[in-house]
Formats: sequence, C-alpha cells, structure tokens
Amino acid sequence: MNAPFLIAKGVTKRFGALTALSEVDLEIRSGEVLALLGDNGAGKSTFIKVLAGAHSPSDGELLIDGVPVTFSSPKDAASAGIATIFQELALSENLSISENVFLGRELKRSVLGVPFLRRKEMKERVAGLLKELEAHISDPEAPVGSLSGGQRQAVAICRALNLNAKLVIMDEPTAALAVAETRKVLSLTRRLAERGCAVVLISHNIADVFEVADRIIVFRRGRKVAEKIRSDTNPEEIVSYITGAHPDVRALEKAN
Amino acid sequence: MNRVRTLQSPALVLSLLSLLWVIVIVGLFALKPSVLSVGTITTVLQFSTILALVSLGQGMVILAGGAGIDLSVGGTVSLSAVLGMLAVKAGLSPFFLPFVCIGAGTALGAFNGVLVTKLRILPLIATLGTFFVYSGVALSLTGGSAQSGVPDWLLWWGRGVLAGIPVPFLTIAIPAFAIAGVVLAWTSWGRWVYAMGFNERSARLVGIPVDRTRLILYSLSGTLAGAAALFSLAWLGSGRPNIGQNLELESLTAAMLGGIAVLGGRGGVGGVFAAVILLVTLKTGLLQLNVNTVWQVGIVGALLILVLLADRFSESWR
Repeated sequence: MNAPFLIAKGVTKRFGALTALSEVDLEIRSGEVLALLGDNGAGKSTFIKVLAGAHSPSDGELLIDGVPVTFSSPKDAASAGIATIFQELALSENLSISENVFLGRELKRSVLGVPFLRRKEMKERVAGLLKELEAHISDPEAPVGSLSGGQRQAVAICRALNLNAKLVIMDEPTAALAVAETRKVLSLTRRLAERGCAVVLISHNIADVFEVADRIIVFRRGRKVAEKIRSDTNPEEIVSYITGAHPDVRALEKAN
Repeated sequence: MNRVRTLQSPALVLSLLSLLWVIVIVGLFALKPSVLSVGTITTVLQFSTILALVSLGQGMVILAGGAGIDLSVGGTVSLSAVLGMLAVKAGLSPFFLPFVCIGAGTALGAFNGVLVTKLRILPLIATLGTFFVYSGVALSLTGGSAQSGVPDWLLWWGRGVLAGIPVPFLTIAIPAFAIAGVVLAWTSWGRWVYAMGFNERSARLVGIPVDRTRLILYSLSGTLAGAAALFSLAWLGSGRPNIGQNLELESLTAAMLGGIAVLGGRGGVGGVFAAVILLVTLKTGLLQLNVNTVWQVGIVGALLILVLLADRFSESWR
C-alpha cells in the first residue's frame, strides 16, 4: 500500500453553533479512488470544501505527504496539487476545448509584455491528454458548447491533469448524465487513478460507487461513520450506514 | 450543431454587413448617381472616425459581459473635448492638448469602471448616471458655447487626407481596431475577456482577475472616447459641449450590428468596424438625399431594434 498523499486529522468545521464536520480522520492515497457517501447535509460537501481550500477548518489539520498545510484560498489548494471538478464544471462554452483546458494559465510568448498565445503547443498538449484519457474527442479546437455532458467531464478532467493535480476531487460527476455517458466518466475516473492520481469521488449513486471506488467512506451528521474496502462490503450495508439503520451507527449515535 | 456555430462565426456577420453596405451604395447610386466619388469616401471615413473609436470601446465593454454597457461615451467625448480646450484657455501649452483629452477620457472611463466593479452598481444605471453628469458638466462649464483655439498643427493632422483616406482615420481608428483585434484573438487577455463575458462564475473559478479586467475595459472605453474627443477638436477646430450627442445610441447600434452578443462572450471587433462604416454610409447617404436629421436618428434606432430581433432569432435557432 502506498503512503497516503493526504491525511486529515480531527478535521472539524463549525458554522456558528452548527457543527458541520466533527473530528473527521481519513487518509487519501495516490492511485486510489476514494468514494465519499452520505445523505444531504452529512458533511461531505463541507469536507471537500475544506480540502479544496474554500473553507478553513475550525479544528484539526491536513497533512500532505506528511507535512502540515493550511489553505487560505482555493489557489493555495491548487498549488498544493489539489484540483476540484465542480458540479457546474467551470467551463466556458464559447471557447474551444484547448482554450478551456488552459484558461487562466495559458501557454504564452511575451512580446513587449503582451502575452501572445502559443496555440499550437496548447492544442498538441490537449490532444495528447485527450488521447491518454481515451476520451474519443478528435478535435481539441472544437467549442465546448458542442460537447455532451460526459465529454465536458473529460475536458474538466484534462484541466485538472494539466494542472499536474495529485488529488482530483469530483463532485457528483455523473449526476446529470445518461447511462452511456456515466460509463465513460466512470472509466475516466478509473484511468485517472491508474495514472497515479488520488481521486475523491462524491456521489449519491451507490452502483457507480461500487463500480469504481477502492475504498468507501460514509458520512452521517458531520461524522465519519464507516470506512470500508469495497471488496469487504456490499451495497446493503453501505445504505444502512447512510440511513443510520446499521447497528454500529446506532451505537455511535447513542454514545453521543 | 457544429455547422450552425460555424455559420455564426464573424465571417457570417462580415458578409451580411458587406451585403447591406452594397445595398445601401446601390440604392444611393440609383437615387443620386452624383454622390459616388472619392470625396464621398473621404467624408464617410472622416465622419466614421469618432463613431469607430467610441464603438470599439463600447463593443469591448459589452463583450466582457456582466451586463456591461457604457452609456456615458457621448458625455465622455463632450467633456474630454471641453476640458482639453478649457485647459488650453487657462494657459496650458497646446502641446499637451492630446494628453489632456485622452487622460480626461481615461479618468472618466475609470470612474465608470470603479462604479461597476467596486461599488457593484448595475452598468446600465451607473453609466446612465455618469452620462448625465459628464454631459451636464460639459454644458455648464462652457455655458453651451463652442470653445475655439485649437492649434494649427492639430488642425493639419485632423483635416489631412492621404490618398483619399483621412489621416486621423489612418493614424488612430485603424491602429486601434488592429491592436484590439490582435489582443482579443491572439493573447490570453483576449481569451479572458471572452471567458468572463460568457460565464463569469467559471472565469472566477479558474482564477481570471475578472474585476480588474473589467475596470481596465471601462477605462479603455474612456481612453478611446478621449481620443475621439481629440479628433473632434482637430477636425472641427473647436470644442463643442454637445459633440458627443447620440453617440451612446449609435455606438450601441454599431456594436450590436457588428455581431457582439448583448450578453457578452460572442463577437469580434472586425464586425464592429464594418458596422460603423455601414452606419455612417447610411447616414451620409440620407444626408445627401436631404433626409431630415431627425429621421436619421430614427433610422438608427430602428436598425438597432432590427439587430436585436435578429440576435434573438439566431438565439432560438441554436
């Protein structure tokens, strides 16, 4: 087993009197898909926002490669190698695929201080990434507006790879996709992990999670209530953790 | 889907505008054959210079989205021209006139930018307010009278003609459009403008400095209006407090007609350039045919509505 890329120790987040996350300990390993499951309001979104630098934890710490880090903005998280693919993807439909992949950090050649684009290099780089991901998009110059939902996910993943992300957080990547598209995104997710990235997948769809995840963590009411290797568990058990019907969860909730 | 998109590219806008232009020319020729001469071309281009500069700024502000619009351009042109002349009257060496005009324009534009980006006032309202303020101040400073005293060397530039083409058109309008076109198409700044114009949220998420870019674009619109003011001085020989009248309406029409999407993110400056030439040709033609100026403004307004309708329909085709 690899050494963990990121360790969260006792991460707690309070919003006033409300405790959204309470003492979450977990490890994220490179080359592994980790699924976060939980009902609405269970704390998984708050947790990824802490990872992405959008929230700073009220308590606890994050360690990357064993070194404690604090993120004061999403930019800090990005420079530490954490890329978040938001539900709304943050793509500009009027620009081409390669322009989107490089948006905000274009390859450029400065002439008298004016940043001219190096279109050819950007195009080649994106074509390479798309091929590597087997995304079946032939033209990196096509406008993103003409792509399907799954292809847009592929573009967003390319963006993350291009930032040399070591940890990619995917927030409900299959929520709005048709069946065939979902398959494609799941295989992209798998391929991302095979490339050595750590992947955190948030999903409501247990079938999807069982298809790609190596490890499954269940959140409930701001706590981590279960951590299972996929092969040691089954969907029924996970559902009982999510709903709180599992005896372990009951015992835990009674204790508090 | 892809084909529709290609059809809506700048090439389509340009060919449509050229077609309209040919129709205007042919119509004009049919009604009054004597108008077609080199002299008319010179006149059209001379009249185009102010509108071209102002429309370029207007177009870029709209392109950057966020409900961007600059209604104050007319007021900025008037006030920059008046301020320039008043400074000369107050004893400033005329050598500095270009700097005063362009500097005043930039400052007035930057003020719009601050209202929009820092104080978060809706651009339509912010620039409507500054439009009244700027044009009001221009009138009250002068009591409504034209300010004379433009130096000869400036007139020489403003009225010069080279091979049938007015010198100011060659030396400021064309370079301004060429630079803007290159920056928008070939630099990362250009990509940022398109990205924030189309989807501001995603532009912010990827780390584009949206507010700073927008502030710069409003300032730039002011700079171009200041340059237009300078040209008006050099051409007319005096600073008129109402020189910018109707420019907001006409520059908006030119930007829309030139294919810049009202909500931003689509369009280019080439179309704006063609639209300016078309509008001024139409106006010059109407003037030659002795159509009342009141009607000219009405026709510009009607054209604007037509363009917005066309935009609306092309939207539903997609």
